[in-house]
Amino acid sequence: MEERYFEITRENLKKFVDSLISGGSEVIAPRDRDGDTFYGKIANFDEANLDMLLPKMSYKEFLLPKTEILFEYSLFGTETEIKDGLEYARGANKKRVIFGGRPCDGAAGRIMEKVFNWDYKDEFFNERFKDLAIISIACEKPDNYCFCMDIELSPESSYGSDILLKKDGGKYFATVTDEKGMALITPCMNLFKEISRDKMPAPKDWKKSFDIEKTKEFLDKNFEHKYFQERFLSCIGCGICTYACPTCHCFDIQDEGGCKEGRRIRNWDSCQFSIFTLHASGHNPRVTQGDRYRQRLMHKFKIYSEKFNKYLCVGCGRCSRNCPEDIDIREIAKDLADME
Amino acid sequence: MENIYLPKLAEIKEIIQETEDTKTMRLTINNKSIDFLPGQFGEFSLIGEGESTFGFSSSPLRKEYFEISFRTFGRATSGINGLNEGDKIAFRGPYGNFFDTSRMRGKDLVFIGGGIGMAPVKSVLEYCLDEREKYGKITVLYGARTVSSLMYKNNFNEWKTHKDTEVAITVDPGGETPDWTGKIGLVPNVLEQLPLKGENTIAIVCGPPIMIKFVLKSLEEKMGFKKEDIITTLENRMKCGLGKCGRCNIGSVYVCKEGPVFTAKELERLPNDF
Repeated sequence: MEERYFEITRENLKKFVDSLISGGSEVIAPRDRDGDTFYGKIANFDEANLDMLLPKMSYKEFLLPKTEILFEYSLFGTETEIKDGLEYARGANKKRVIFGGRPCDGAAGRIMEKVFNWDYKDEFFNERFKDLAIISIACEKPDNYCFCMDIELSPESSYGSDILLKKDGGKYFATVTDEKGMALITPCMNLFKEISRDKMPAPKDWKKSFDIEKTKEFLDKNFEHKYFQERFLSCIGCGICTYACPTCHCFDIQDEGGCKEGRRIRNWDSCQFSIFTLHASGHNPRVTQGDRYRQRLMHKFKIYSEKFNKYLCVGCGRCSRNCPEDIDIREIAKDLADME
Repeated sequence: MENIYLPKLAEIKEIIQETEDTKTMRLTINNKSIDFLPGQFGEFSLIGEGESTFGFSSSPLRKEYFEISFRTFGRATSGINGLNEGDKIAFRGPYGNFFDTSRMRGKDLVFIGGGIGMAPVKSVLEYCLDEREKYGKITVLYGARTVSSLMYKNNFNEWKTHKDTEVAITVDPGGETPDWTGKIGLVPNVLEQLPLKGENTIAIVCGPPIMIKFVLKSLEEKMGFKKEDIITTLENRMKCGLGKCGRCNIGSVYVCKEGPVFTAKELERLPNDF
């Protein structure tokens, strides 16, 4: 579908969101909780905090839940009965709309989609991804940890969002990128006024602070560079960078239950833990925290882009903001680019 | 639409206690083997105790069953270890690439295995023995720490009965018993004493990482093997086997999809991350 453009007043935007909720949609928006902001279900438009730059965590869990049932089992004597877990994923996001997320979070699903679909198709991800509707709002003022503009996105990128809203002069301007976006606004078309592309506010000139291609080039050639071992001595290996990341998708598979019934589940995992790669023999390919943070950088800026032509990063800076040691991935990516 | 994480159930036809902590299980689905190639692997489990990654250890040409061999170590393998003949084992697979036997045709072959790493070597070895006439001289070198930790003792004689096939079994110094008649020495040292030439010969190697490292050194530097004629298989930690869960990669290579079988030449291009 060709992109379509609309304008909508703040008052009508409120009516639109409230009508989504009264129409039975579960609307997930940035919401204040416990002195912080998280994505969560809102009961009405006014519960959304649209001034906050970025909620503490992304909404990755709606595409890749922290814990997901792959199947359930029951054992009767020597017989095993298996109930497919796909039925929990199927339709899980049918009525779910993300409202007021940022363009970086909106981009994450479309980036992760690639790894879940090369060769073997992961229908758990696909089922959730195809239904999740995403209405993002462009950022007006990124902070010092943000670097989407350096990573082929921007504070007003519509990549991965079904609708992107941009605030300008007290009004919102909507770019509807696909049918899923049109399906959301069609029932409330009276609230929107269609406009031509040239009436849309011009994109700002977002400045890059480094060349990510150069970061990749450095990683291509310097696997054994001492930088990795020295720079990450302060890393305590807590893994919060991977949990807070909208695109980190590595998972573990575990069984839980007893000898009568239980389930096989997959859980978020983290390359920052030494057990992640530990062999049964005791051998571990990644011994130091430097080895493990290097893997994270490699995966984000080299491996994923070689395989899928996309960086596995949206530049949201959550890994840096949440890091107890203030390890700033933007600063590191820039350091590597400068060393190249 | 398919759930790629759902296992199939295979029946355990026979269990061979190889050593104190290793077993071989002969499995069937519908009373026969499955289609797989030597070098490929699967995810096996007693449902409820978690999955574990094992390579197949039998020849794909033996259609009556397929085999796995494993060492009991953690929760998942303890679960499988508790299963009896007639019980069901859950499995997903086969996954990964394989030993390309088409490029071994007409050549001399040397199979080198260490410890439990002999399992995938046995699969391709027996595959070649099942079509013995297609290959030149076959040499087998298998080593373990002690006599009691040698697996496949029941198979050694069968391997030896094939024409033009040498079988050398070794244990680490100190691991021998008074009646031990095999060789004594570390695998790379024993290897260097075998009458092998690097020309027109392909080496198939699997064992602990430290053994692989020194065997590759011996083959390349002392015995004149070309890197492309040395084939090994890597046993990285895996969970999904499908190129998604993100832990088995070496640089940009996912061992579960682009491996687990690599030539020494391919390994040389990978970063030191294994």
